[in-house]
Amino acid sequence: MNIYTRMIIVLTSIGLISGAFLAGVGTLTKNRIALNKQREINEAIMTVVSGAQISSKIYEERDLAVYKVNNEENELLGYAVYAGGVGFQDKIYLMFGVNPEITRIYSLTVLEQKETPGLGAKITSEKDFLQFWKNRDCTKEITLHKPAVNSPEQLSPSEVNIITGATISSEAVVNIVNLALEKIRALKNEGKL
Amino acid sequence: MAEKTISNEFTKGLWSENPIFRQLLGLCPTLAVTNAVVNGLAMGAATTFVLLFSSIVISSIKKLIPNQVRIASFIVVIATFVTVADRFLAAFFPDISKALGPYVPLIVVNCIILGRQEAFSSKNPVFRSIIDALGMGIGFTISLLILSSIREILGNGTFFGIPLTGAWFKPWLIMILPPGAFFTLGLLMGIFKYLDKKRK
Repeated sequence: MNIYTRMIIVLTSIGLISGAFLAGVGTLTKNRIALNKQREINEAIMTVVSGAQISSKIYEERDLAVYKVNNEENELLGYAVYAGGVGFQDKIYLMFGVNPEITRIYSLTVLEQKETPGLGAKITSEKDFLQFWKNRDCTKEITLHKPAVNSPEQLSPSEVNIITGATISSEAVVNIVNLALEKIRALKNEGKL
Repeated sequence: MAEKTISNEFTKGLWSENPIFRQLLGLCPTLAVTNAVVNGLAMGAATTFVLLFSSIVISSIKKLIPNQVRIASFIVVIATFVTVADRFLAAFFPDISKALGPYVPLIVVNCIILGRQEAFSSKNPVFRSIIDALGMGIGFTISLLILSSIREILGNGTFFGIPLTGAWFKPWLIMILPPGAFFTLGLLMGIFKYLDKKRK
């Protein structure tokens, strides 16, 4: 057989067999991967809106999704907002819960981040960062409190604590939240929520 | 080179031809993912899996592959198994998959794997290739474990996420940042070299 024909036949066969094999693997794992993602979102909703039982996605755009959250008696508890934006090294994706009037943030959790380990990555730490996001007044813009304080009582209602050594990451989270709040308020006024 | 015994074929990956400390191959994932032991272990396991199955396939079909397209064929086979490993981690170990980020797909370009196919599997029978792949894979995994243990304990005060040190210990942040990886790797390489010299 001509060497060129052989090269073409061998490479094509390897490619075809690999492709078929991967298609199989992809089909087998696809559902599970989607399920993982869904479970992560559901867990986050439960964390940011306490008492959440039923949630449904009511709005989605790039880097923003809004979930309507109801309790067992089907009363509206508020909204869980999934938002993403630029962090220090890569995009940060987070979720926070707000009341139905969008005047109060219940709490916040970070879903995805690639900030510096030990510094910016503290945005996922309850003790260093997340505890200061509980019950914030969001009628005004959320602002950062500098320098860092030790307990949430030392902050005014619309302030959150900064992480020492990770100003950019802290600011990034605040910006993502403020931007998302602005957007969902606009959506609310348009009657889309 | 004289014909090696099967046990030699295995142990060379652990010490005399250790992929990280002796061949200095695959350093990019080595430096990048060894900030926690669990990441090091997952990376080692994923690489070993890809190496083992690629070696089996390549050594079985080596006679069919024309010399001119051998590298392309190797890469397609390797990429296939890397994708399998990537999907598997994403489906069953989502947290680890997230922590390793782009480094799982990047196993494709890990020189250890292509290097073993070119230097070993394409010239040796299947059984020997399996032994070689296991030796190299385990050697790589152990090296990652040593590196990540040192970095996690010093940089975070934990081992496998379990706190080891009391509150008195201030973690050396630099150890889990990139410079810590270079320092640790350099020192370990020196120690390896020293021990090797002493052995001779």
